[in-house]
Amino acid sequence: MGWRAPEDPREEPGDDLATAPTVDGPEVVGVDRAVAGREDDSAPPGCGDDCVIALSGVTRRFDELLAVDHVTLSVARGTILGLIGPSGSGKTTTIRTVTGSLAPTSGTVRVLGEDPTRFRASTRERIGYMPQHFVLYPDLTASENVDFVAALFGMLYPRRRRRVREVLQLVELWDARGRRASRLSGGMQRRLELACAMVHEPDLLLLDEPTAGIDPILRQAVWGELHRLRDDGRTLLVTTQYVGEAEHCDRVALIGGGRLVALGTPDDLRRQALGGDLLWVETEEAVDPRTLPSIEGVDSIRQHGPRELMLVTVDAGETSPRVVDAFSRRGITVTTTREERPSFDEIFVRLLEQQTPAGQPSEQAATEARGRDAAA
Amino acid sequence: MPLLKALTRIGSFAAKELVEVVRRPGAFVSLVIGPFLIMALFGLGYNGYRRPLNAVFVLPPQAGLSRDPATYQRLAGPAVHVVAVTPDAAAADQELRDKKIDLVVIAPADMRQRLLQGQQSAITVEYNETDPIRAGSAAILASQLSDQVNREIIKDVVLKGEQTPAGQVAGAASIPPDVVAQPTVAKPVNIAPTSPTLVLFFAPAVLALILQHMGVTLTALSLVRERLSGAMELFRISPASPVEILLGKYLGFAILSGVIALVTMSLMVGVLGVPDLGQSGLLALIVALLVFASLGLGLLISVIADSERQAVQLSLLVLLASVFFGGLVLPLTEFHPLLRDAAYALPVTAAISLLQDWMLRGSLLRPWELGVLAGLGLLLFVLTALRLQRVVRHA
Repeated sequence: MGWRAPEDPREEPGDDLATAPTVDGPEVVGVDRAVAGREDDSAPPGCGDDCVIALSGVTRRFDELLAVDHVTLSVARGTILGLIGPSGSGKTTTIRTVTGSLAPTSGTVRVLGEDPTRFRASTRERIGYMPQHFVLYPDLTASENVDFVAALFGMLYPRRRRRVREVLQLVELWDARGRRASRLSGGMQRRLELACAMVHEPDLLLLDEPTAGIDPILRQAVWGELHRLRDDGRTLLVTTQYVGEAEHCDRVALIGGGRLVALGTPDDLRRQALGGDLLWVETEEAVDPRTLPSIEGVDSIRQHGPRELMLVTVDAGETSPRVVDAFSRRGITVTTTREERPSFDEIFVRLLEQQTPAGQPSEQAATEARGRDAAA
Repeated sequence: MPLLKALTRIGSFAAKELVEVVRRPGAFVSLVIGPFLIMALFGLGYNGYRRPLNAVFVLPPQAGLSRDPATYQRLAGPAVHVVAVTPDAAAADQELRDKKIDLVVIAPADMRQRLLQGQQSAITVEYNETDPIRAGSAAILASQLSDQVNREIIKDVVLKGEQTPAGQVAGAASIPPDVVAQPTVAKPVNIAPTSPTLVLFFAPAVLALILQHMGVTLTALSLVRERLSGAMELFRISPASPVEILLGKYLGFAILSGVIALVTMSLMVGVLGVPDLGQSGLLALIVALLVFASLGLGLLISVIADSERQAVQLSLLVLLASVFFGGLVLPLTEFHPLLRDAAYALPVTAAISLLQDWMLRGSLLRPWELGVLAGLGLLLFVLTALRLQRVVRHA
């Protein structure tokens, strides 16, 4: 299971690519204006009764340091929301307000319909959590660790025995089940923690950087498992500092310096960052873009070479035939058209730059954010 | 240059260690203040005062001796406090068995006649001590008391001899010289069920100290590690309540402590030959209460310590305080009354007393100490649960 097509009914494609300014809070770009709305919204709309997580104007301060700044977002049932940003951007602080470990300085958090700082025991049984750092027991074996966590969530022995086997097989640790956790590699330890978070089959999984420190192949496998869980109807909030992993999420919340930079589906964020879909066009003859007519669906044209053009379009798929047609009417033969999909690293940087005041480099903003989260 | 580089490396370690210690104020304070506090308490609270032994003199009615306690107080000297003079030997004996008094001095009924017949009399001095040191002291006191009595008898005989007819004096002259010199001998009798050697007497106390120290040390590190590793965050999310976490810890370590206690006691009784006169049911209860209170103390340390280092330091301070104030080396009676009461905040204090009494006597002289130990255990459990609740909430 890989990247899901945007027409999935669970997604909420936006209708406006424009920046959505807020009155008092930070500016948030992206399509989910209704979700990433004003800080004083009492509850973030966007998923209604299906809302598993709802943060509304959440701010978290540590003395003078602002770790999370007016974040409003929601996660619908059966979806993956990726909380993505560089190290120190406020991801962990945000997820800890969702777990109830940290109460927000201001704003409201509702998870499974409850205030996380006052979760009932039955609600806790529905949540799986994978902390950022390895917190399991180094002197216990892999299977003992999973068994301990399963028992912690009240699973009785017969079911526990079955599930321990299932999840260890799932994360490919069954063969290492008898090894002490201290003797597992870093990647295996992350998988073990993932197994622990999943063992009690929670409705909601909160995963703080589940792919940190593991190799790309295994990272793919982990995301495959997360997609399987999502397809199984579970809801996932996943943080990662690998911006490229945004592709794996149904919706993405880009966070930088404690602020929500953008919120939407990966495709929508790409359009937002780039101004639309990018269409790469190659022709047989040299082309001067200034001589080209206005084409419906094309916002701008940039020349990359005598016969190479990059078109910013509203929708690359729909616009492509119109471009070929318009060019041919000018006597220009189009040899190649393809949609360009820049990496999410680039998209993230562009979105962050759009949010950064003029003259302040994004790297500086990221550095500030790092400082804030270190305090967190 | 290599020397300079080596010095730089050495200096880096030295600086790092110092900074690490200073950066943990809790550990630093317990490192400096803890031992100082114990020494200060010891200096203020230990007076070395040994109270006089309470004694009852039993004089048969036909002995014809004075019944004024002051007479015998003068004979006994400051180390003994004559509580009463009575003809009722059985009542005095019962008081001694109940440890309401320390000594019973029984004078023979026919001391004067025996002297005139040239026979020594035995003054029986009974005491009830399992502590070999205190038993030895009681025997010495008995001997001293006998010497004083002899001196008085001789003085009395000499005084009376000057006023006695010549025929009676001639009769007295036939008394053997050693009887004249020592008309009475002390006959110390320890009525305690056992008279263990020094090693055997301290064995139950050492067992109590081992069990407490093991319980405190094991648990003191347990929750600290989980707090520092971040496992508390996992607990915070899970449906497990702080009380459930705590009960699980208690159960795990109690099983471990129980096994160790069983093995240690079996070795003590079976190999060392430590007397075990009490029923095993109550013995198990005493050990269980000691373990319960010790685990509570360790877990309390665990939830207040800011690092593993501080947890270890606090555990060692508890051990140090137990050695000083727990009644292991110095009797509690030699401390200021306030400190004596405060010493019961250490599980080992009541446990040493209970274990020694139960194993060496087969009875409890201070059964209320069971209540103290149970109450202390409960108090520590409640305090730890409250603190853990806070720790988990803020994990």
